[in-house]
Amino acid sequence: MVTKESIEVIAQSIGLSTLSPEVSAALAPDVEYRVREVMQEAIKCMRHARRTTLMAHDVDSALQFRNLEPTCGFTSSKSTRFKRAPEHRDLYFLDDKDVELKNVLEAPLPNAPPDASITSQWLAIDGIQPCIPQNSPLQAISDLKRLEYKEDPLAARHVLSKELQLYFDKVTEWALTLPGSTLFRQALASLETDPGLHPLLPFFTCFIAEEIVRNMDNYPILLALMRLARSLLHNPHVHIEPYLHQLMPSIITCLIAKRLGRRFSDNHWDLRNFTATAVGSTCKRFGHVYHNLLPRVTRSLLHTFLDPTKTLPQHYGAIQGMVALGLNVVRFHVLPNLEPYLQLLLPEMVPEKQKDEAKRHGAWLVYGALIVAAGRCLYERLKTSQTLLSPPARSVWKTDGKLTNPRQSKRKASSDNLTHQPPLKKIAAEGTMVMTQMHGAIVPAPQQSLVGRDIAPRTSATLTTDVDNFLFPLFDYFGESMLMFTPKHELNVFL
Amino acid sequence: MDPELVDEFVRGYLKKKGFNSSAKAFEEDLHHNNGSSFSSIDYHNDPELTKLIRSFSQSKDDPTQYRECYSKLRSWAYNSLDLYKHELLRVMYPVFIHCYMDLVGKGHTQEARAFFNSFRKDHEMIHLRDLQKLEGVLAPSHLEEMEFACSLRQSKVNIKICQYSYDLLLQYLHRTESTLMLGIINEHINFQVYSGQPNSASDDIEAVTIVGSFQDKANHINQKEIQWGLLEDSLEDRLEKTGLLSDSEKGQGESKDGDMDDSKKRASEIGKQGSSLKKLKKDKAGNATAKVVRQETSTVSPAPRVKSELALPVMSTEVEQSILEDLRNRVQLSSVAMPSVSFYTFVNTHNGLNCASISHDGSLVASGFSDSSIKVWDMAKIGQAGSCALQGENDTNDQIVGTNGRRSYTLLLGHSGPVYSATFSPPGDFLLSSSADTTIRLWSTKLNANLVCYKGHNYPVWDVQFSPFGHYFASCSHDRTARIWSMDRIQPLRIMAGHLSDVDCVQWHPNCNYIATGSSDKTVRLWDVQTGECVRIFIGHRSMVLSLAMSPDGRYMASGDEDGTIMMWDLSTARCITPLMGHNSCVWSLAYSGEGSLLASGSADCTVKLWDVTSSTKLTKAEEKNGNSNRLRSLRTFPTKSTPVHALRFSRRNLLFAAGALSKPAS
Repeated sequence: MVTKESIEVIAQSIGLSTLSPEVSAALAPDVEYRVREVMQEAIKCMRHARRTTLMAHDVDSALQFRNLEPTCGFTSSKSTRFKRAPEHRDLYFLDDKDVELKNVLEAPLPNAPPDASITSQWLAIDGIQPCIPQNSPLQAISDLKRLEYKEDPLAARHVLSKELQLYFDKVTEWALTLPGSTLFRQALASLETDPGLHPLLPFFTCFIAEEIVRNMDNYPILLALMRLARSLLHNPHVHIEPYLHQLMPSIITCLIAKRLGRRFSDNHWDLRNFTATAVGSTCKRFGHVYHNLLPRVTRSLLHTFLDPTKTLPQHYGAIQGMVALGLNVVRFHVLPNLEPYLQLLLPEMVPEKQKDEAKRHGAWLVYGALIVAAGRCLYERLKTSQTLLSPPARSVWKTDGKLTNPRQSKRKASSDNLTHQPPLKKIAAEGTMVMTQMHGAIVPAPQQSLVGRDIAPRTSATLTTDVDNFLFPLFDYFGESMLMFTPKHELNVFL
Repeated sequence: MDPELVDEFVRGYLKKKGFNSSAKAFEEDLHHNNGSSFSSIDYHNDPELTKLIRSFSQSKDDPTQYRECYSKLRSWAYNSLDLYKHELLRVMYPVFIHCYMDLVGKGHTQEARAFFNSFRKDHEMIHLRDLQKLEGVLAPSHLEEMEFACSLRQSKVNIKICQYSYDLLLQYLHRTESTLMLGIINEHINFQVYSGQPNSASDDIEAVTIVGSFQDKANHINQKEIQWGLLEDSLEDRLEKTGLLSDSEKGQGESKDGDMDDSKKRASEIGKQGSSLKKLKKDKAGNATAKVVRQETSTVSPAPRVKSELALPVMSTEVEQSILEDLRNRVQLSSVAMPSVSFYTFVNTHNGLNCASISHDGSLVASGFSDSSIKVWDMAKIGQAGSCALQGENDTNDQIVGTNGRRSYTLLLGHSGPVYSATFSPPGDFLLSSSADTTIRLWSTKLNANLVCYKGHNYPVWDVQFSPFGHYFASCSHDRTARIWSMDRIQPLRIMAGHLSDVDCVQWHPNCNYIATGSSDKTVRLWDVQTGECVRIFIGHRSMVLSLAMSPDGRYMASGDEDGTIMMWDLSTARCITPLMGHNSCVWSLAYSGEGSLLASGSADCTVKLWDVTSSTKLTKAEEKNGNSNRLRSLRTFPTKSTPVHALRFSRRNLLFAAGALSKPAS
């Protein structure tokens, strides 16, 4: 390991320019032997400090055993990281980062390290490892799986410990009696994080399904049940996939049911929104394991959406659900059907045609949901294709003073746009505002962007046509409100 | 062959070996006879002899010879019949290391290095640690300096080999005239030839281990008689005699102290009442069944009783009563009745936690840090104070500090180097700690102060252990000694010298007459405390021994090493009953359950494992007859959440306590 050459280099570095080759040849093996000797002692120190990584002070104490001076300047509380030198197989060096002195001086004082403390937990009770967050979660799940395969389903209740039974009884009781209380909120938090709940899953699934059927007209309970389902779906420790096929229909029901809640004050729109996000996150999380989950949900939603006999709230739920499922779903299923649907919807929105205030309100909400769905699609699309729009835009609009720094403005704009996604209800109002402001500029928009696209490189021709296909109809349907979803800098292109 | 040439060889050989006068005589002889040979041995005409002479001349000092011969032998061994292959391969390792050391000894550093590197892969699996040591030896002076190399050079390796393999080997060596290999094998290997079929591969540990010169010595030492029985008139003894008291009394005591137990648990663990209640019920049930078992075992093998050779301290009646109470209410464990494990996790130790120790009742936890501090936690108090804080799941770090902002532990300062070990006296009123500053300190847990500083070791003290009855304690150190002390004297009472490297761990025999020490020389030794003599040497580990435990009946001992192997030894025969494979990193801690039916092991691989001792000892007897390999049964594995397990302790009631420092996985 230690070669003659390295001895010579070391000799030179300490000022010995003339070192005879015999000396270095004799020194090299000896140096190596001594280094190994020290390392052997250092490893002993490491073992007695109950560690498996060697640290600098282990070497120091090993040197102390031999009455040698310890090394200076290498101690660190963290384990040091070595990097392999490129082009060498077994040459490593310390990865020493350059630190700006100014940054070090200006950095705020670090917090005092927290003091050592101790916690206790049950690693096992009568030889069985309890499923608590302090214990290793992986083992717990695999254990449970094994249990599951062994027991037949009828005997499942016997496996359930008393604690879990009590837990289930309490949580279900709260869900039905005190859905708004802090107690229930804490129970939800526990459902979301506790690793030991797996055995309860079939019971919860069953409970949710039954109670939803029974409480279709009880809004608070429905909401509580949905929150319960969502918490379970979010729990990373439980193995919920086998129960999804039972759980999903109940959830979808809450999304596209004809009536949710009995009273007029029940805000079933909120419930539908909430459920939609739950459906979306579920499909994202389990889509890859449960491959036909997404198609099945989409189909049932689309079915509702395309059925003109369904009520507007049902349509609303379907649209929100599809938005939550992802923009691709919207693009392939909603946008192509937009035109005929709008023809049905628009009359509902006008006071002259639809006398019922509530229905008109619903129609407007559906309209808003559609705008958001389409607008998001548009925004995504423009963002991905902005490379194709921006360069020509710059060349064309160079004279424009606002565009001197397009890159920067673009970044700012997009972040603005994301954070300022207006909540649903404001859309209409703000939309009209934007409309009045930009009224004059709207008409020539398509032509100008056409100019831009003409100069665009040919490689992105397909993309351009794609943008064409759904972008401009959108403007036809929704008009100015689409501008809200156009990234600002692309907006400039249109203006 | 040309006679002239042969003459030349002989002359050169004699000169080289320094036989100048004989060389002269030889030359005179040559001149005198002038070619017509009348010497007593007609070496010119004897082809065998000529060959031999020639091979001598060839093997002069040629370093490449070693390589050639070794690789030939190697390829022959690897191509031999499968049945005999593993036996022949055993020969390769000693030949390999001696070839290497020969080369080094003759000063061929480059060749030695090349030779070593080209063949080390073959032996890495079994002998990695030895190879790492030898790798650094590069000059003849190192050979003399390094004890390991010296002992290898001086001693012979014992290899068990069957008759047929032995014949095969000899045949090969003669046929190929590889005198070099023959020489090495003759010089350094001692074959123990047995007739019959070769043993199945890999189960025979003794056949592969290479030990120093003390194999014979060890065999001799292991002949000595030892009394492994328990002390007569010990508490267990008394309990067994008065034993099995009336059941009604027992039931009463149980329920009472069930409450005590329960309150303790409640203190340390909130929100588990349900489970602990359940556990209590189970315990009772377990007790009922286990009583029968105990009767059985006591009739089957009454452990012999021995007298203590040490003057044992007198126990206060209160302590005695409480211990008896505990023993009476011990949960009987077996492969079907598993213990509960309470785990103490240290957080925010910043890699500084060197050791942890749990008192016999589990209420006190002492930890030694590399910043020379010792911190003692009273778990009962923490349980009360932090009861509400513990509910918040993960962020207990800050909250556990007491209500008025004071720290939750007692800080003991006094050492001036990393603290490597700590141990509680059986009643829990004293604490001993050992440190890199070569001292051992005695602390009072009542006064929270340092009482005595014991100086005697010359190097860091790796381990210290109180005797099972208190008062006496044993320590072991980097200076290769283990020492026996008593609390009232500042000098050691006995010094046990004999290990060839650091003594890393020490453990008392339950009858106090012996201590066991584990060392970096890969052996475990048993010492008589009264005489200070080594009475047993246990050979078999392949790396540094890190932990030891004695079974409560005094018959068996378990030792764990750096590679994760645990070995269970029979003290009287000094044989390994069974190796326990399962851990894949250092075994930091071992503990037998109160009645000796289970062995718990804690390791750096973040698991606590439980092993079935009773079935395995029975099994081995049965299986020895069949000649099968035997493995002790692993019952359970409890993984922790990235917490290496530093300490284990079965309480007198058989609740298992474990402790370790949470180590964040490298991000």
